[in-house]
Amino acid sequence: MSRLHLTFLALLAATAFADANAAGNIEAGKKRAYTCTGCHGIPGYKNTYPMYSVPRIAGQSETYLVNALNAYKSGERKHPTMAAQAQSYSDQDIADIAAYLATAK
Amino acid sequence: MRHSILLTAIALCAFVPAVSAGDAVAGRTKAAVCAACHGADGNTPIDANTPKLAGQHQDYLVKVLRDYRSGARSNAIMGAQAGSLKDEDIDDLAAYFASQPGDLKEIP
Repeated sequence: MSRLHLTFLALLAATAFADANAAGNIEAGKKRAYTCTGCHGIPGYKNTYPMYSVPRIAGQSETYLVNALNAYKSGERKHPTMAAQAQSYSDQDIADIAAYLATAK
Repeated sequence: MRHSILLTAIALCAFVPAVSAGDAVAGRTKAAVCAACHGADGNTPIDANTPKLAGQHQDYLVKVLRDYRSGARSNAIMGAQAGSLKDEDIDDLAAYFASQPGDLKEIP
Protein backbone atom coordinates (compact mmCIF):
# COMPACT_ATOMS: atom_id res chain seq x y z
CA MET A 1 0.00 0.00 0.00
CA SER A 2 1.41 3.34 -1.03
CA ARG A 3 2.12 6.12 1.41
CA LEU A 4 -0.54 8.23 -0.27
CA HIS A 5 -3.14 5.53 0.33
CA LEU A 6 -2.17 5.25 3.98
CA THR A 7 -2.43 9.00 4.45
CA PHE A 8 -5.84 9.01 2.82
CA LEU A 9 -7.04 6.18 5.04
CA ALA A 10 -5.72 7.92 8.12
CA LEU A 11 -7.58 11.08 7.16
CA LEU A 12 -10.78 9.10 6.59
CA ALA A 13 -10.43 7.48 10.00
CA ALA A 14 -9.82 10.83 11.64
CA THR A 15 -12.93 12.27 9.96
CA ALA A 16 -15.06 9.36 11.13
CA PHE A 17 -13.78 9.83 14.67
CA ALA A 18 -14.59 13.54 14.58
CA ASP A 19 -18.16 12.82 13.45
CA ALA A 20 -18.75 10.32 16.23
CA ASN A 21 -17.46 12.77 18.82
CA ALA A 22 -18.74 16.09 17.58
CA ALA A 23 -16.67 18.84 19.14
CA GLY A 24 -18.88 21.19 21.08
CA ASN A 25 -19.00 24.88 20.28
CA ILE A 26 -19.26 26.82 23.53
CA GLU A 27 -20.75 29.97 21.99
CA ALA A 28 -23.43 28.03 20.09
CA GLY A 29 -24.11 26.02 23.23
CA LYS A 30 -24.63 29.15 25.28
CA LYS A 31 -27.41 30.29 22.95
CA ARG A 32 -28.97 26.84 22.83
CA ALA A 33 -28.80 26.52 26.63
CA TYR A 34 -30.97 29.59 27.19
CA THR A 35 -33.99 27.27 27.42
CA CYS A 36 -32.26 25.23 30.12
CA THR A 37 -32.02 28.25 32.41
CA GLY A 38 -35.83 28.22 32.77
CA CYS A 39 -35.34 25.41 35.30
CA HIS A 40 -31.59 24.82 35.79
CA GLY A 41 -30.79 28.51 36.20
CA ILE A 42 -33.15 29.24 39.06
CA PRO A 43 -31.76 28.63 42.56
CA GLY A 44 -34.10 26.42 44.56
CA TYR A 45 -36.26 25.45 41.56
CA LYS A 46 -38.16 22.23 42.17
CA ASN A 47 -39.40 19.45 39.94
CA THR A 48 -42.96 18.49 40.86
CA TYR A 49 -44.60 15.04 41.03
CA PRO A 50 -42.32 13.89 42.50
CA MET A 51 -40.88 16.96 44.14
CA TYR A 52 -37.12 17.35 44.20
CA SER A 53 -34.61 20.06 43.34
CA VAL A 54 -33.65 20.15 39.68
CA PRO A 55 -29.96 19.28 39.46
CA ARG A 56 -27.17 21.78 39.23
CA ILE A 57 -25.65 21.12 35.81
CA ALA A 58 -23.33 24.06 35.18
CA GLY A 59 -19.78 22.88 35.82
CA GLN A 60 -20.73 19.23 35.29
CA SER A 61 -18.51 16.74 33.42
CA GLU A 62 -18.89 17.27 29.66
CA THR A 63 -19.20 13.68 28.45
CA TYR A 64 -21.63 12.92 31.26
CA LEU A 65 -23.86 15.75 30.01
CA VAL A 66 -23.69 14.44 26.43
CA ASN A 67 -24.64 10.96 27.62
CA ALA A 68 -27.43 12.29 29.85
CA LEU A 69 -29.01 14.23 26.97
CA ASN A 70 -28.69 11.23 24.63
CA ALA A 71 -30.26 8.99 27.28
CA TYR A 72 -33.24 11.37 27.57
CA LYS A 73 -33.45 11.56 23.77
CA SER A 74 -33.54 7.77 23.38
CA GLY A 75 -35.97 7.29 26.27
CA GLU A 76 -33.44 5.29 28.28
CA ARG A 77 -33.67 7.99 30.94
CA LYS A 78 -37.22 9.10 31.62
CA HIS A 79 -38.37 12.63 32.30
CA PRO A 80 -41.15 14.18 30.21
CA THR A 81 -39.68 17.69 29.97
CA MET A 82 -36.13 16.51 29.40
CA ALA A 83 -37.25 13.97 26.79
CA ALA A 84 -39.10 16.68 24.87
CA GLN A 85 -36.09 18.98 25.02
CA ALA A 86 -33.54 16.34 24.09
CA GLN A 87 -35.60 15.06 21.16
CA SER A 88 -35.43 18.51 19.60
CA TYR A 89 -31.61 18.49 19.68
CA SER A 90 -29.22 17.24 17.01
CA ASP A 91 -25.96 15.53 17.99
CA GLN A 92 -24.22 18.85 17.35
CA ASP A 93 -26.70 20.73 19.58
CA ILE A 94 -26.04 18.25 22.39
CA ALA A 95 -22.27 18.59 21.97
CA ASP A 96 -22.57 22.38 21.99
CA ILE A 97 -24.80 22.49 25.09
CA ALA A 98 -22.52 20.11 26.99
CA ALA A 99 -19.43 22.12 26.02
CA TYR A 100 -21.05 25.31 27.28
CA LEU A 101 -22.43 23.86 30.52
CA ALA A 102 -19.18 22.13 31.42
CA THR A 103 -17.33 25.42 31.22
CA ALA A 104 -20.07 27.73 32.56
CA LYS A 105 -18.84 29.44 35.70
CA MET B 1 -62.92 27.59 62.13
CA ARG B 2 -59.74 27.79 64.12
CA HIS B 3 -59.68 24.02 64.19
CA SER B 4 -59.90 23.79 60.44
CA ILE B 5 -56.93 26.13 60.02
CA LEU B 6 -54.92 24.01 62.40
CA LEU B 7 -55.94 20.83 60.58
CA THR B 8 -54.98 22.38 57.26
CA ALA B 9 -51.60 23.32 58.64
CA ILE B 10 -51.03 19.78 59.89
CA ALA B 11 -52.13 18.36 56.54
CA LEU B 12 -49.68 20.61 54.70
CA CYS B 13 -46.84 19.42 56.90
CA ALA B 14 -47.52 15.89 55.72
CA PHE B 15 -46.69 16.97 52.16
CA VAL B 16 -43.21 18.18 52.98
CA PRO B 17 -40.94 15.76 51.08
CA ALA B 18 -39.97 12.84 53.24
CA VAL B 19 -36.22 13.33 52.91
CA SER B 20 -34.51 12.91 56.24
CA ALA B 21 -31.66 15.18 57.20
CA GLY B 22 -28.90 12.68 56.56
CA ASP B 23 -25.64 12.58 58.48
CA ALA B 24 -22.83 14.09 56.41
CA VAL B 25 -20.14 12.76 58.78
CA ALA B 26 -21.42 9.20 58.50
CA GLY B 27 -21.81 9.78 54.77
CA ARG B 28 -18.15 10.66 54.42
CA THR B 29 -17.16 7.23 55.69
CA LYS B 30 -19.72 5.47 53.53
CA ALA B 31 -18.53 7.43 50.48
CA ALA B 32 -15.12 5.76 50.42
CA VAL B 33 -16.21 3.42 47.64
CA CYS B 34 -17.70 6.31 45.61
CA ALA B 35 -14.32 8.06 45.65
CA ALA B 36 -12.85 5.48 43.25
CA CYS B 37 -14.80 7.04 40.38
CA HIS B 38 -16.24 10.35 41.60
CA GLY B 39 -13.06 11.51 43.36
CA ALA B 40 -12.43 11.70 47.09
CA ASP B 41 -14.00 15.16 47.23
CA GLY B 42 -16.82 14.30 44.81
CA ASN B 43 -15.55 17.05 42.53
CA THR B 44 -12.70 15.29 40.72
CA PRO B 45 -14.14 12.30 38.84
CA ILE B 46 -11.78 9.93 37.04
CA ASP B 47 -13.11 10.86 33.60
CA ALA B 48 -15.49 13.21 31.80
CA ASN B 49 -18.14 10.51 31.68
CA THR B 50 -18.44 10.41 35.47
CA PRO B 51 -20.50 13.16 37.10
CA LYS B 52 -19.33 15.52 39.77
CA LEU B 53 -21.41 15.14 42.94
CA ALA B 54 -19.95 17.80 45.22
CA GLY B 55 -22.41 20.60 45.85
CA GLN B 56 -25.27 18.83 44.05
CA HIS B 57 -28.70 19.27 45.67
CA GLN B 58 -29.14 16.82 48.52
CA ASP B 59 -32.70 15.84 47.62
CA TYR B 60 -31.70 15.28 44.00
CA LEU B 61 -28.89 12.94 45.06
CA VAL B 62 -31.38 11.03 47.23
CA LYS B 63 -33.72 10.68 44.26
CA VAL B 64 -30.93 9.51 41.94
CA LEU B 65 -29.66 6.87 44.36
CA ARG B 66 -33.19 5.60 44.98
CA ASP B 67 -33.77 5.44 41.22
CA TYR B 68 -30.59 3.43 40.71
CA ARG B 69 -31.59 1.16 43.58
CA SER B 70 -35.07 0.54 42.18
CA GLY B 71 -33.85 0.20 38.61
CA ALA B 72 -35.87 3.23 37.45
CA ARG B 73 -32.53 4.55 36.24
CA SER B 74 -30.16 1.96 34.89
CA ASN B 75 -26.40 1.90 34.96
CA ALA B 76 -24.43 -1.29 35.54
CA ILE B 77 -22.03 0.19 38.08
CA MET B 78 -24.48 2.42 39.94
CA GLY B 79 -27.18 -0.23 39.97
CA ALA B 80 -24.79 -2.62 41.70
CA GLN B 81 -23.61 0.04 44.15
CA ALA B 82 -27.03 1.43 45.06
CA GLY B 83 -28.67 -1.98 45.26
CA SER B 84 -27.21 -2.66 48.67
CA LEU B 85 -27.87 0.78 50.19
CA LYS B 86 -30.45 1.33 52.94
CA ASP B 87 -32.51 4.53 53.04
CA GLU B 88 -30.27 5.80 55.84
CA ASP B 89 -27.12 5.17 53.75
CA ILE B 90 -28.62 7.08 50.82
CA ASP B 91 -29.56 10.00 53.07
CA ASP B 92 -26.07 10.09 54.60
CA LEU B 93 -24.27 9.91 51.24
CA ALA B 94 -26.46 12.63 49.79
CA ALA B 95 -25.86 14.84 52.83
CA TYR B 96 -22.09 14.36 52.51
CA PHE B 97 -21.77 15.10 48.80
CA ALA B 98 -24.22 18.01 48.93
CA SER B 99 -22.11 19.58 51.69
CA GLN B 100 -18.84 19.34 49.74
CA PRO B 101 -17.58 22.41 47.88
CA GLY B 102 -17.33 21.93 44.12
CA ASP B 103 -17.85 23.25 40.60
CA LEU B 104 -21.57 22.56 40.27
CA LYS B 105 -23.94 25.50 40.22
CA GLU B 106 -27.05 26.87 38.57
CA ILE B 107 -26.59 27.99 34.96
CA PRO B 108 -25.49 31.63 35.16
